[in-house]
Amino acid sequence: MKQEISALMDGELFEDEAESLLGRIKSDSATHKDWEIYHLIGDVLRQPEHIHCDLSAKVHERMQEEPTVLAPRGRAVKQKVYAVALSAAASLVAVGVVAWMSLQVSPETATQMAMQQPDLRPVSAQIKSKSNDYLMAHQEFSPSTDMSGGASYIRTVAYSPDKK
Amino acid sequence: MRMRAALCGLLLAAAANACAGERQVSLDWLKIVAFAAHQTDYTGVFVYQYDNSVETSRIIHVVEADGEYEKLESLDGPKREIVRHHGQVWCLIDRDMVQMDSRQVRNMFPALLPEQLTALAENYHAMQVGTERVAGYNAQVILFKPKDNLRYIHKMWAHTDSGLLLKAAVLGDKNRVIEQYAFTQLQIGGNIDRSWVVDAIRNHEQPATMPGQAKGGAPVNSGWVVDALPAGFKKTMEIKREMRGRHAPVTQIVYSDGLSAISIFIEPDDGDEDDTDGLISRGAVNLYHKLVNNHLITVVGEVPPRTVMQVFGSVRYNGN
Repeated sequence: MKQEISALMDGELFEDEAESLLGRIKSDSATHKDWEIYHLIGDVLRQPEHIHCDLSAKVHERMQEEPTVLAPRGRAVKQKVYAVALSAAASLVAVGVVAWMSLQVSPETATQMAMQQPDLRPVSAQIKSKSNDYLMAHQEFSPSTDMSGGASYIRTVAYSPDKK
Repeated sequence: MRMRAALCGLLLAAAANACAGERQVSLDWLKIVAFAAHQTDYTGVFVYQYDNSVETSRIIHVVEADGEYEKLESLDGPKREIVRHHGQVWCLIDRDMVQMDSRQVRNMFPALLPEQLTALAENYHAMQVGTERVAGYNAQVILFKPKDNLRYIHKMWAHTDSGLLLKAAVLGDKNRVIEQYAFTQLQIGGNIDRSWVVDAIRNHEQPATMPGQAKGGAPVNSGWVVDALPAGFKKTMEIKREMRGRHAPVTQIVYSDGLSAISIFIEPDDGDEDDTDGLISRGAVNLYHKLVNNHLITVVGEVPPRTVMQVFGSVRYNGN
């Protein structure tokens, strides 16, 4: 079962297989949970520093509240279910991406990133140790030193593995 | 009857003062916090979180007859240690002891000058927002909301009994946490290890043998001015100092609004290829430096990047 879910996520299942699996995911809560976990694993692998929050329940809740459009059914019901399942999955992903982007790109960080990118890359090690000297020289006269004592000095020697 | 009238008067007065009183109480807390930071013996472990990083450090602070001694030690990553005493700072990074300070002996007590408190009241709404528990202690939570978007929101958790800062957070737009630190374990007073103080004194007495040491800064009037400081930032210091790795003395001008500070460093271009333009952020502190007309200008402060850029853009030489 787990292999099938994995294959579905990678787009390696045939249409009918995918259809029956999606049906099972919808009806069986344990399978649904596996489906979620696989997506979570994927998200974490791609973005380890961002905490996943499960939106599916909320999206489901909102969809329940949305007015149902009553329109005549033209095509085969079966095909439609498949389409709904897929579009639901796609909208989940879309909501996820939008949420992630809004977390990621607040206006502040966006400008920050824009300003940082061309400058920071080439000389990180050197510039970092020099910057530390300026940070230290600044910290001496900052009111934050008066409030929190030496704890505020942590900024001047803070170590971040990703910027090494 | 007279009693009731008096009571009514009191209530009216209390209502009238409620707003102003609230702020005064919060500012009083700030004085207590600053006092406690300098006058309390304590040792503890705290967590510092900024950007996407979290790190843990240990701090010991003791007050001896000749002043405060403080040791900050990193518990994660490479070993780093900072010892402070009497306005001097020693920094141990990778077994390399470096003296980093300007040897400008600050008047540490009382730490908060009345001007600072006035500036604070002008630029921030101070509020007490309840009590919470941090590291097993009860804390008074105080919020400082800036009146413009050129500075950050500061939130402090002060120990209800001693006033020691147990937790502090800097918040940006939409209350996004820019950085925060919080004690996870803390001992206030009692039996605290002081054996390391002896080493600190030895370093204190023989600073000349240490590599890369800094020389004392002297007050100057450099002629450099900043036109576009946010309202309420007042100059607190202007010195010429030696800095590690710099060939020529560096001018440092410090402005403060009572809660945060902006430093401007100006030095002649020494042709060092490593002097690259750029903005660097570490938690609440932003730094921007760039070569302008043969001078390397560096702006550092606990203010948003836009403020650092605004200040940087308005630095000019006004001397003759």
